[in-house]
Amino acid sequence: MSYMDILKTAPQVLTPGTSACQGCGGELILRRVMQIAGANSVFAVPPGCMAGAGAVGWSDTNGCTAPMHIPLLDNTASFMSGVSEMYQRRGRGDVNIVAIAGDGASADCGFQSLSGAAERGARMLYVCYDNEGYMNTGFQRSSTTSRGSSTSTTPSGAAINGKEQGAKYVPLILAMHNIEYCATASPSHMPDFVAKVKHGLEASKRGFAYIHVFSPCPTGWGFKPSESIAVARRAVASNMFPLWECERGRWYMSENRSPITMAQFVEGIGKFSRLDAAALEELQEAASARYELIRRLCAK
Amino acid sequence: MGHVTPMGGPGMYVLDTASWRVVRPVMDKNRCVNCGQCLAYCPVGSIYAEGRQILISYDYCKGCGICAAECPKRAITMVPEVE
Repeated sequence: MSYMDILKTAPQVLTPGTSACQGCGGELILRRVMQIAGANSVFAVPPGCMAGAGAVGWSDTNGCTAPMHIPLLDNTASFMSGVSEMYQRRGRGDVNIVAIAGDGASADCGFQSLSGAAERGARMLYVCYDNEGYMNTGFQRSSTTSRGSSTSTTPSGAAINGKEQGAKYVPLILAMHNIEYCATASPSHMPDFVAKVKHGLEASKRGFAYIHVFSPCPTGWGFKPSESIAVARRAVASNMFPLWECERGRWYMSENRSPITMAQFVEGIGKFSRLDAAALEELQEAASARYELIRRLCAK
Repeated sequence: MGHVTPMGGPGMYVLDTASWRVVRPVMDKNRCVNCGQCLAYCPVGSIYAEGRQILISYDYCKGCGICAAECPKRAITMVPEVE
């Protein structure tokens, strides 16, 4: 079954009407992950854009046709560890246990529980949609925000020119937990994305699976909603967000030997609009160094 | 037109996002080759397949324009909504 057949025929699990912004990359990721996992799943979406958009419903309503939980911002992975354990004890190992969280709930507040669940090898798929900030509460910086990004807590101006620190590279940290499956994916590369989610769901029956997904945010980053997928594609093409996967110590990456320049990547993205040549060079160096590190890990 | 995503019955949270739309995607079926790229990248899941045909539902479409931007044949144009 090709990826297109899955997208065409698999029933939607998420409610059709969510209040995610126009052109939201996170909604596309959430919708596709839930569609691929199917209704025989238990989902958890912690506070963040997707929970606020209605994935968890409001009051006594549900935002999808499958069981959906809203854990706290910092305990998604530990919460789902318990859910996973109970389903296995009841002989329901066939149920997909899926957590879909933002970068704040994964890399910052929720990192302790995520790291703990990964180390224990809790059987679940954890998908992090990384929109590089706390977009739901007004575009504050997070630890995965890239250097030079203008956010509401690191505004570009006379004192500083955007975020002064580089981004924390979470997927590699998770891979170093020796988990069952770890991958990065982008919504702009849909065949690769679908294959990785399917692979992650299979791996989640044996241990902890983690997928880190680039999630373009038109409202927070300041670009046109119609350009979401194009921005994600440029992030991969510029090696800002390399695509790779690691399964029990076996590494594989989608190599990109002729990347576009960082200036081409940031074009039209509001949060990078005040970067000068020196700042772009810093971004370029960081991206190249990261790419080289991944390439060496993936070398046969 | 039927809903792309079946309603969950009572208890399903559904927002009328079609009311947000200021431009609507209109597909030129003479240029469309039914490749499904628009369906794959629509964040709202508003584009669906009926057999081999790819069609747009306006029940929840927010009018973001991703389908028009991603179409390799430029078969989708964003047309202003007129009251």
